[in-house]
Amino acid sequence: MDMIANWLGNTPDFAVPFALAALGLILTERAGVLALGAEGLMLVGALAGIGAQLAYGMHGISLLLAMGAAALVSLLFALMVLVLRINQVIAGLALVFFCQGLTGLLGTLLDWTNKPVKGLGAVELWPLSELPLLGKVFVQNPLVFLTPLIFLAVVWLLTRSSTGLRLRAVGENPQAADAAGISVLGYRLAAILAGSALIGLAGGYISLLSTKLWIADMTGGRGWIAVALVIFARWSPWKALAGALLFGCIEALIPQLAAAGVRLPQYFVLMTPYAVTLAVMIWVASGRNITGNQPGALGVPFIREERR
Amino acid sequence: MNEQVRPLIVEQARPPARPPRSPLLARRYTLEIRQQLAWHWQALIIAAALVLGLGISAAILMAAGVPAGELLNEFVILTVFDAQSLKAVLFQAAPMILVGLAGCMAFRAKFWNLGLEGQMIWGAIGATAISLFDIGPQALRLPLMLAAAVLCGLAWALAPVLLKLRLKVNEIISTLMLNYLAINFLLHLLYGSWKDPKSSFPYSPQFQPFERLPELFDGISAAVPLALVVALLALWFLGISRAGLYLRFVDANPRVAGAVGVPVQKMIVGTVLISGAMAGIAGFLVTAGQEGRLTQSFYQGYGFSGILIAFLARNNPVAALVVALLMATLFVAGRSLQVFYQIPFSMVQLIQAILVICVASSDFFIRHRIRRVQGGES
Repeated sequence: MDMIANWLGNTPDFAVPFALAALGLILTERAGVLALGAEGLMLVGALAGIGAQLAYGMHGISLLLAMGAAALVSLLFALMVLVLRINQVIAGLALVFFCQGLTGLLGTLLDWTNKPVKGLGAVELWPLSELPLLGKVFVQNPLVFLTPLIFLAVVWLLTRSSTGLRLRAVGENPQAADAAGISVLGYRLAAILAGSALIGLAGGYISLLSTKLWIADMTGGRGWIAVALVIFARWSPWKALAGALLFGCIEALIPQLAAAGVRLPQYFVLMTPYAVTLAVMIWVASGRNITGNQPGALGVPFIREERR
Repeated sequence: MNEQVRPLIVEQARPPARPPRSPLLARRYTLEIRQQLAWHWQALIIAAALVLGLGISAAILMAAGVPAGELLNEFVILTVFDAQSLKAVLFQAAPMILVGLAGCMAFRAKFWNLGLEGQMIWGAIGATAISLFDIGPQALRLPLMLAAAVLCGLAWALAPVLLKLRLKVNEIISTLMLNYLAINFLLHLLYGSWKDPKSSFPYSPQFQPFERLPELFDGISAAVPLALVVALLALWFLGISRAGLYLRFVDANPRVAGAVGVPVQKMIVGTVLISGAMAGIAGFLVTAGQEGRLTQSFYQGYGFSGILIAFLARNNPVAALVVALLMATLFVAGRSLQVFYQIPFSMVQLIQAILVICVASSDFFIRHRIRRVQGGES
């Protein structure tokens, strides 16, 4: 019983990075830009967050800097896909490898590796935190409670505002949007910057609030899992949030099993998030509705002068 | 549709009047798509991109604390003109060539094989299993290990390609996820039943002398000719064999290829399996050639290198040989920078990424032309 309460209580903490990264990806991909660089941008956010925390020691500023750093690096990606119109798969992969190399190098040269930082105190959502079994779910750091609000804001932006309508138009049919006088490249740039900031926030969350230190390559494929999450959530933010909770559950279960003394081969347990990603991808793909809801111009570069 | 686009084209056919001089900031430019560019211009643009990438890398190295005068010394003179390190480069090039060719193979079939590292790990595990369980007579041991590496690498590539063809599962994600599975399985073996009881490190027991790739002559390991033989086979496969011709059909247009009777699915599956097998051989070369045992991080850096080599070589196996040699030089130089200047090995990955970005960007100037818009309104 206690174990289940602990497990559920830890789930949001593990789910938040997946949720924020997936939301950032959805925002970018809704504008028609295929964003494979999440893994790298998360690393940039994680390293920048730790660096800022070691220098200033204020979580709010560190998280903002994590977002800023990821957005800054994503300018390189924007240059590659919007201006130079490089194949977006290659640009995304190059971005991931660039960020892995950059963060590995800076983390060592600046001596930020393995320096623990203080976490953020937990906030209780009072009446709910007294619930039996579920109580611990409502004792979390502030960012966990902020995440649903961020989701609400982004969903409102995408579906209820004229900015969101234009952004989705750019992702569905850039030629038509262009003819209607919408700046395709401008909206795509904004989507890349905003989405990357959210992905950077996810990275900053991992390093500042979850593990509380920086190690090279610490995201361990979570960015790729977020990319997969967006595919099987069919670019819908709420489904992505549900998927993030599922992966949060799985990741939270790993330390619980070890603590409960369940004798399972450690490395097989560590495989589960990746195996589950594969399994869910296969399960979703064997269903009927495979291409539904995908932005129409996802991954297609735009140039006004091009003949179609 | 065509009627609406036409005026743009007609625009260019206007008699070329001398452009009126306009102030620099008031000039407007437009992008045009180029149909063709002479090969020497293409080569020049790519070379300029490489030089730019190397320049940026050199600046980063200097910022990281390598004295400017030492750069040339470290990267060119010490690695190419020193017999000892030239051997090291060749030795390093052998697995590099194989992962590069593996990348070329998969990309020819339009399959993003990011699972090179996982396939390498399985190749190495297969080869090590033959050694650990003493399978086969001594004389046949190395060929058996090679065969096991081929089979294991191939098997690890089978699932993603079938999933892609049958269920349209994105192969980028599936191959990456399989990498993580392979890495964790490797650690499971090395921290568990395969751990060398005589060592406190997570290594497998040392291979017997007859299980290691011999030195042929003058300190050149057998890994080098083996890689060259595989490269020749790849060249034959892609350039001369009927399969290579089919593959070009498939690459150009899978639906037309299918309509004229090319077995498209079989071609894709076969080519990706060969790619996996080559990555498996690369794993065998690293374990049986360089390390002499299974270690926990032997595969690191090869996955990206393979993709990078294939990309820079434009999936051409001959060019892949050259690029692989350059990447091997970069790896060897990176290791010596690590030793002498305490620069982490991530620097190598950063330089690789910068080179890819620069060369990929150069494509823009090959495929597009920037032209001044004549007159005010166009």
